[in-house]
Amino acid sequence: MSYTLQFGQVWPYLPTLAAGALLSLQIAFLAFCGGLLIGTAGAAALSFGGTWIRPVVRVYVVFFTNTPQLVQIYFLYFALPDAGILLSSFNAVLLGMTLNAGAYLTEIQRAGFESVHLAEVEAAEVLGFSRWQQILYVILPHVARVLFPPLSNQYILMTLGTSMAAIFGVEELTGRAFNVNAQTFRSIEVFSLTAALYVIVTFAATALLAVTGRLAFRAKMRIV
Amino acid sequence: MLRSLMRRMTVAAMLIVGLSAGVVEARTLDEIIRSGAIRVGVNPTLPPLGKFDEKNEITGFDAEYAAELAKMLGVKLEIVQVGSPDRIPFVQTGKIDFVMGAMTRTPERAKVIDFTMPVHTEVMGVLTIEGKPYKHWKDLDNEGVTLVQVRGTTPIKFIEDNLKKAKVTQLDNYPDAVRALAQGRGDALVDIIDFVGEHMNKHQVKWKVVETPVDVYYCGLGIAKNATGLRDWLNVAIFELHKKGKTAEIWKKWFGIDMLYPTGVGPGF
Repeated sequence: MSYTLQFGQVWPYLPTLAAGALLSLQIAFLAFCGGLLIGTAGAAALSFGGTWIRPVVRVYVVFFTNTPQLVQIYFLYFALPDAGILLSSFNAVLLGMTLNAGAYLTEIQRAGFESVHLAEVEAAEVLGFSRWQQILYVILPHVARVLFPPLSNQYILMTLGTSMAAIFGVEELTGRAFNVNAQTFRSIEVFSLTAALYVIVTFAATALLAVTGRLAFRAKMRIV
Repeated sequence: MLRSLMRRMTVAAMLIVGLSAGVVEARTLDEIIRSGAIRVGVNPTLPPLGKFDEKNEITGFDAEYAAELAKMLGVKLEIVQVGSPDRIPFVQTGKIDFVMGAMTRTPERAKVIDFTMPVHTEVMGVLTIEGKPYKHWKDLDNEGVTLVQVRGTTPIKFIEDNLKKAKVTQLDNYPDAVRALAQGRGDALVDIIDFVGEHMNKHQVKWKVVETPVDVYYCGLGIAKNATGLRDWLNVAIFELHKKGKTAEIWKKWFGIDMLYPTGVGPGF
C-alpha cells in the first residue's frame, strides 16, 4: 500500500487542535494545584496526624491509587446522577483528576516529608514554629529539590491523562483529534500532529513547574 | 558513556524501523478465498444490527447477513468488534476486509473507502424526552439546545451544517449517549432511532420521538480502496440476496418490521 502523506488536509485544523491542547493544559494545571493542596494536607496528616485521621487518609490513598482514573471519573459522571448529583462534563473530569492526583501526591509528599532530618523539625519546634509554619518554612523548602522529579513526572502523567476527558464530552486535544480524524480520515497525519502538540504541552508544563520551583523555593532545577 | 548511549539509540531506531515495516495492506478477493476466512467488522453497540448474546458472542442483523455472504463465498466468517470512531481506520489498514454497522454512504467517506450498493436504508430522527417542546427537527436550531451525540457518526456533520446554533456534547458510544440523555445532560439526540431502541428500554424515562424524520440514508458495506475484486463480488452477492428476498427476511427477523424505506436497487448497479 502506497500511502501518500497529506498534511495539507490536516493543517487547517491546527488552531482547533491547539485550542484543545490549551484545554488539556488547563485541566491538568487545575487538577494538579488541587491535588497538591490535598497532597500536602494528606502527607501532613500521615506524618504528624493523630490516631483517627491517619486511617481515613490511608483509605482515601489506597482507594484512589488502586483504581483506574477512568473508572473513578466514570463513576462521578454516570453513576452519581442516579443518586441525584449531576456534575457537568468538565466538573466531573476535574474532580476525578483532582482526587486521583491528591492520592498520588500524598504519597509523594509523604516521602519528601520523611526525608527531612528529624533534627531540623525538632529545632523548628523548639523555636516555637507551629506545625503549619514548620511545614511551610522548614520542610517544603528542603524537599522541593528532592521532590521535583516525581512531581514533574506526576504532572506529565496527569497532562497525558487528560486524554480520557474526551470520553465524557470535554473537547480537549485527544477528543478534537478524534473529531478531525472522523472528518478527514487522515489518521497518520492527525495523530502525529496530536503527539507533537502533547510533547509541546508537557514541555511547557515542566518548564512552568521548574520556574515556580526556582522562584518559590530557590531550588535550581533542570527541565529535561 | 556517549558511546553506549549512541549504541542504545541505534538499537532503538532499528527496533522502530523493524516494527513499522509490517505495513498491512487490504487483502484482494483471491487472498481471502485462499486464506479460507473473511474478517468482518461488526459494531455490537447498535442493536439489533449488532449486539452481544448470552454467550457474549456478537449476533444481530449484521452478523447474520455477513454469515450469508461468507457462505456464498465459501469461507469461514470471522467477526471483529469495531466502534464508530475506528471502523474506517480498520478497513483502511486491512484489519478487516469489510465493515458493516450501518455504514452510511457519504462523499467524504467515499474519498477514503469504497462502498458496495446499499444493503439497507436508515431513517435519521430526533429522540428526546416527553415534555420537551420540539415538533420539528428545525426547532433544535437555537442556542438553548444541547444535543448529545456519539463521536465519529454521520449526524455530527449534519448538525454542523444544519443546526449551527445548537451546542453538542460528544460521547464515545450509543449506550453512554442514551444514558446521558436519560440523565438530563442534553435535550435531544439526533441519530437513527431504530438503533437506539434497545438502549432506550434500559432507562425509566418517558421517551418521545419527534414526528418528522430528518432524512433517509443508504447504508452499504465499507471496503478498502484497493481491494481488487472484493467490491465487485460483494455487489453481485448483495443483489442476489435482495432478489431472493433474504435481506428483507433477515431484517424482519431482527427489527420486527419491514424496512421503512426500500433501497430501490436495480440489476444494473
